[in-house]
Amino acid sequence: MKMVTESEWEVNVPDKQLKDKVYFENLKSVVIDTEMCSRCLTCAAICPGGITVVNNKVDFPDYETKCLDCGACVRVCPRFVYEPKSGLGDYIEFTAGRSKRFAGQDGAMVTEFIVSAMEMGLIDRGLFAGRDENWATEMFHVRDSEQLTITTLGGTKYTFADVLPELKKAVMFTKSGVGVIGTPCIVSGIRKLQQEFPIFREKVKLVVGLFCTENFHYDDISNFLKAKGVDFSKLVKTDITKGKFISTMTDGKVKFKVTEAEDIVASGCNVCTDFTAVESDASCGSVGSAKGFSTVVVRTEVAKKVIEFIRAKGHADFGDADPAQLDFLIGHKKKRAENIKR
Amino acid sequence: MEEVINELMGTIMSNQLNIPALQPVLDSVSQLPVVGLLISFILWKPVFALLICPGLSTVGILLLFFPWVERKLCGRIQWRVGPREIVPWLGGLIQLLADTLRFLFQEVIVHKDAHRPYFLQFAFLSFIAALLPLLFLNAGNVIAIETPYAIQAMLALVCLFPFFILGLGWASNSRFAYIGTVREAFMYFAYEISFIIAVIAMVVLYGTSNPLEMADKPWGLILNPIAAFTFFVGAAMATSRMPFEIAEADQEVAAGPHVEYSGIAFGLIYVMCYEKAYILAGLMTVLFLGGGSGPDIPGITPLLGNDLMGIVWFLIKTIIVLTTLFVLRTIYPRYRLDQGLNIGWGAMITLSLIALALSIVLVQGGIVL
Amino acid sequence: MKKVTVPEQSTVEKAVRHAAAIGVAVKESVYPLTATVQYPRQRKKMPDNFRGYILFDPEKCINCWECAFICPANAIRMKEAPNKKYYPTIDYGRCIFCHFCIDSCSGGALRATKIHDVAYKDMDEMLTLTEEMIEPPEIIREDKKLVEYQIDEKDLRLKKTREEDNLIVEKAPPPVEIQMVSQCIDRASCIGCHVCEHVCESGAISSSIANGVMRMKIDTDTCTGCGLCVKECSMQILTLVRK
Repeated sequence: MKMVTESEWEVNVPDKQLKDKVYFENLKSVVIDTEMCSRCLTCAAICPGGITVVNNKVDFPDYETKCLDCGACVRVCPRFVYEPKSGLGDYIEFTAGRSKRFAGQDGAMVTEFIVSAMEMGLIDRGLFAGRDENWATEMFHVRDSEQLTITTLGGTKYTFADVLPELKKAVMFTKSGVGVIGTPCIVSGIRKLQQEFPIFREKVKLVVGLFCTENFHYDDISNFLKAKGVDFSKLVKTDITKGKFISTMTDGKVKFKVTEAEDIVASGCNVCTDFTAVESDASCGSVGSAKGFSTVVVRTEVAKKVIEFIRAKGHADFGDADPAQLDFLIGHKKKRAENIKR
Repeated sequence: MEEVINELMGTIMSNQLNIPALQPVLDSVSQLPVVGLLISFILWKPVFALLICPGLSTVGILLLFFPWVERKLCGRIQWRVGPREIVPWLGGLIQLLADTLRFLFQEVIVHKDAHRPYFLQFAFLSFIAALLPLLFLNAGNVIAIETPYAIQAMLALVCLFPFFILGLGWASNSRFAYIGTVREAFMYFAYEISFIIAVIAMVVLYGTSNPLEMADKPWGLILNPIAAFTFFVGAAMATSRMPFEIAEADQEVAAGPHVEYSGIAFGLIYVMCYEKAYILAGLMTVLFLGGGSGPDIPGITPLLGNDLMGIVWFLIKTIIVLTTLFVLRTIYPRYRLDQGLNIGWGAMITLSLIALALSIVLVQGGIVL
Repeated sequence: MKKVTVPEQSTVEKAVRHAAAIGVAVKESVYPLTATVQYPRQRKKMPDNFRGYILFDPEKCINCWECAFICPANAIRMKEAPNKKYYPTIDYGRCIFCHFCIDSCSGGALRATKIHDVAYKDMDEMLTLTEEMIEPPEIIREDKKLVEYQIDEKDLRLKKTREEDNLIVEKAPPPVEIQMVSQCIDRASCIGCHVCEHVCESGAISSSIANGVMRMKIDTDTCTGCGLCVKECSMQILTLVRK
């Protein structure tokens, strides 16, 4: 393949609101200090060096001297110029599925999507979040379905995972493409990246979104759960269904109402109106389908091809899904638009 | 008692080797008491044949220098230099002497599983057994045992060779020696028959099996070339020369009959091959190349006398045959065992039968020799 | 799977081939072409770019340490000399005679010779100090003849002359240099971080802002092709191409 090589090129430089400050300070003042930051880490992914998470907050230590003032963070942040998405979004197919070969939160359809895309040759790796023995998240590049015998890769984590910095690394390494899973804020960040920089359009081939109401910082949620009597060494699964947070351990369950954990909800989630990840290629979640099944919202042609592949190979059982069941939570999140300060 | 001695002396004196050049010296020396007796004893033709030519001395000198000739010549053809480090200005001439010394100093290891008496005895016995056909080989007029059945006797003794190889391998009592021996035996038995039939063809053609009488007849090479070819190939096989070096080659020694031998035992076995080659070359000369006959060279023949000239011609022809036999290794690659056996039981027997038929036809057709 | 079979030949062809083989043997026994070089009495003539022992000229050394860095076998150690400068020492036990050090020597202090047969009594002697590298190593020249292989289309001939090969090559053949320059392969993915500009040692990459548009430029004439910008680019969109 012949490369087009250039000696000269142009870079779009975004506007600065604070003209005499570096771009990170602009980002900080617009997004981070106003508590709109969703911790999607798109800025950290694109920053040539510096932006990271400090004490559960996105920050850049020594930014006054170290920020290279390139403006990339400001270009890719989905909340710098915030256009909140909401509702069910456009879709080609609305169905429920249960994978025959993987076990996950509900029907393991997210895992099935990524693995089937790998088997189709669409992507050569998928980014999964696993967890260590303390239930903190760590990112994995899955390149073969055999790696999914690590069962901690499946299942909802209910805390932040550093998907986007890992995605940047994967994009540098991959040959045929990357598949990625994320909450609606992460999906928005990926779409912003793809809008600004062609390399992400080329290499990120499949984006699977998750239904999401809110997320928690790791320190906050682990202390909260421990206070409620959850033993992390015995914890098997965490679930939020019908307003209840259920932690299943090997020797019992701890249940409490989700509203009890209101105070520790991450601040950026309070301004998020997107429940179903409308910008993804396909969205998956538990609401809208029977127990043991995952609701699958197929939105783009790419996702359609993958689900046809799954159907053809018989990797999953399919059932009915009811869009009406999502209305309550969609409405619940739409209300958060009021929290957005302009 | 006196009559016996007189009779003995008579026999000895009557059958002396005649060398005109040395005659004056011999006349004066024979007057001396013991030395004269010794000299006339040595010059008695049978003893001369056994001791000097074509007997032990010739064999000894040939064994000492012929491998050097072979290695140098083959090296020359193969674009390399043969041995040259031992005495560089002589071109490594005494290489074999050095080798023999080395073998003498090396320890003869008789391993635990070997059948000790046979192991050691066969090594020496085979050397001796290989020399037996010399009794019937003639170099011109000189022959050890004169009998009308000399060729058949030689043939019988030549066919003894394989048994000693088998004995070597069997006495070694080891897996690899066993395999090698069996392969060697296969090859031998495959070629014996065609070999024998080729010799018989010549005997039929000449009408006699007394080698002394064959010398004056036309050359067998011209009369019956097929028999010559078959004999030559059989000889190449019997001495384990290329292209039949199957069980004795350098790469195959580890699975050959000689694998368990070291020291002087190995040395003797190693030179046995050259011995056999000499004997078979001698046989070929007698049968096909006219034995000791040759044209008279004006200046030298009167000097040396007929007897010695016969010996000289015999030696020249034998050396030519030997050289050809040894140069064969530079031309042909080694056959695989099954290919070799195929040829032996197939093409060779056919050819030898054709040779026999040719001989019969020639005799019947009126070429009486 | 293809089965290999013996090619079919008529008897006449076979006989001709046998005769040819015997003919070759006869010819070679009479007039052979001996390919043996009887070292040490004869020496083969090595070409001028033969990679042998390495000589050093301290006057030209600029202390850049490139030879030590580039040596793939880690044979070159820099040792401090009394004049506070560092000079290379070569461990010939490790040296693989690749001559990367000579190629990379910026001052031209290291040069090659054709000497290849130095014998050592023990491993410690193989650590050649700088002082020992200035003069060529001592070898005993036993050779009386020089053998040159002359190869034409059909044959190999050995020309033996009574000469001595000069083992110290005075003039090395000039190396062929290929100029590489840095280029951007995905312009639109540039995030404008200026890392390439900061890292460039020769100042070949520059940027300018006009009307809210930033323009990046690589000056291919100034670019030395060192590859630092390619390594440091945060989006990995620079690469080296031939000029």
